[in-house]
Amino acid sequence: MQAPNKNQQVVEKELPIGPVHPALLEPFRIRFFVNDEIVEDCEVVLGTIHRGVERILEGQPVERALLITERVCGICSNSHAWNSVRVVERGLNIEIPPRAMYIRVIAQEVQRIASHLIFLGHAMEVIGHETFAMRAFLLRESFMDILYYIGGNRVHPSVPVIGGVRPRCEITEGLKKLILELLDRGEKMFKAYVERVLADPLVMSRVTGTGYLSKEDAIRLHAVGPTARASNVRFDWRMEMDEYKPFTFDYIFLEDGDNKARVVARALEIFECIKIVRQALKDLPEGPLVNRNWVPKRMKFTDSYNEAPRGELYHSYALDDYGRLRHYKIRTPTITSLHAVEYAAIGDHVTDAVLTIASADPCLSCCQRVEVVDVKSKKCKMFSSPIEVVKKYGWKR
Amino acid sequence: MVVGLKEVSRRNAIHVMLVYSGGCNGCDIEVVNAIFSPRYDIEQYKVLITWNPREADILLVTGAIVYAMKEPLRKIYEMIPEPKAVVAVGSCAINGCVFRNLVGDVKHNPEVLAPLEEIIPVDVKVPGCAPRPEDIVAGVVKALPKILKAP
Repeated sequence: MQAPNKNQQVVEKELPIGPVHPALLEPFRIRFFVNDEIVEDCEVVLGTIHRGVERILEGQPVERALLITERVCGICSNSHAWNSVRVVERGLNIEIPPRAMYIRVIAQEVQRIASHLIFLGHAMEVIGHETFAMRAFLLRESFMDILYYIGGNRVHPSVPVIGGVRPRCEITEGLKKLILELLDRGEKMFKAYVERVLADPLVMSRVTGTGYLSKEDAIRLHAVGPTARASNVRFDWRMEMDEYKPFTFDYIFLEDGDNKARVVARALEIFECIKIVRQALKDLPEGPLVNRNWVPKRMKFTDSYNEAPRGELYHSYALDDYGRLRHYKIRTPTITSLHAVEYAAIGDHVTDAVLTIASADPCLSCCQRVEVVDVKSKKCKMFSSPIEVVKKYGWKR
Repeated sequence: MVVGLKEVSRRNAIHVMLVYSGGCNGCDIEVVNAIFSPRYDIEQYKVLITWNPREADILLVTGAIVYAMKEPLRKIYEMIPEPKAVVAVGSCAINGCVFRNLVGDVKHNPEVLAPLEEIIPVDVKVPGCAPRPEDIVAGVVKALPKILKAP
């Protein structure tokens, strides 16, 4: 080891947080490189909870895909299950009854509300305002009840199956009335909550102007979902999806790009979600719930995008002759959004930087990846994407 | 029945520590955001959450155990002072859920080390994917006698 040069002043200090830490709900590791409490660089280290989901999906029957992919994430489980059945529905041209489409949208939007409320609660917890956090979690319970009544489980309602929705997820007249009641109560309480949060000078002084992310940086670093929409990136996958065509609602785009914008964007999105659920319940079409008229067969490599609560979610796979999954690939929104907030945290105080990382609503259990490191050449690479694999080897092994 | 001094003093502050060791986040959020939130409110029974293993009495473990969390989990378990109890929350910690044995089909998933019993001794198991908050509260209550009655 060399003796430190006298002229060279070492100011950089590392401040590691995690994997098990009071400020973090999930095990991941943040490394802040600080200079007098100002963050100079920031790194989020993943890989503490890798479970090999893509690997256990290899060779499973296609009907089982939604069962495993639903367990990828406990917050946005419905969007994973929905997206995994959308792939095979697109690939084999399976027709979905309109009633099933509406019920899928209802489950997705209710789960989006619950997910955004977790974010609001978590952000308030990071700021240190316990009361607002507890109020958000109390509000969330009424929406979790709706999921429970629809699907029979709070966390994994398991609504979609290939060709429609599960027969137990039927929305009867009585359930419709109950959901509308819960929505009315939830919206009223949430409106009061948002007004109270926005009028609070203490909370606003913490979130305003910190963690700035410009539109150019958001596009360059590929931020997705509400994180990008708060920086005025005008894109939402719901614009492209046929399932959302019958509904009229606004997309939330804000221009500020700071932590306040990211908090407010999610709060405003909840009102739009409630709008969608109301419309869907109002003109819920009659008809069958599920179309069983399909057989698993050879399918070309197909992909599907979906707007999960955190942003763009990508699933893709191919099927072999017996209808088994080949080359399943999942890309979750968090893994792309994290780089953007890592960048946005630079230049802030450490306490604000933790909030900036939390403002992307990181869901770390979804985005664990394997990295292969060659010790001799000291090169590392992520697993190549399936398109490259398929081009090289063909989809049949 | 004579209530010991230790039992009285312990009863007033049971500290629960949560370790999340690789699952889907569902149980984790049910524990932190549901049972410590106003509706279920386990704090009214003087059960408090802590993130310091040296303060904790009960260790809640969720998730299928993965390699990166195996040693930290053991370390955390050893740090907790006696008497201590371990509650395995969710199917993942009990038998690995879909990541270990999806109705017997996934024979060997080398990334997952579930069940939890093979790593640290378990006192109470709360099944379900994800378990209802009421069940988690019941599981924590079931682990209490071991701590209160200990010499």
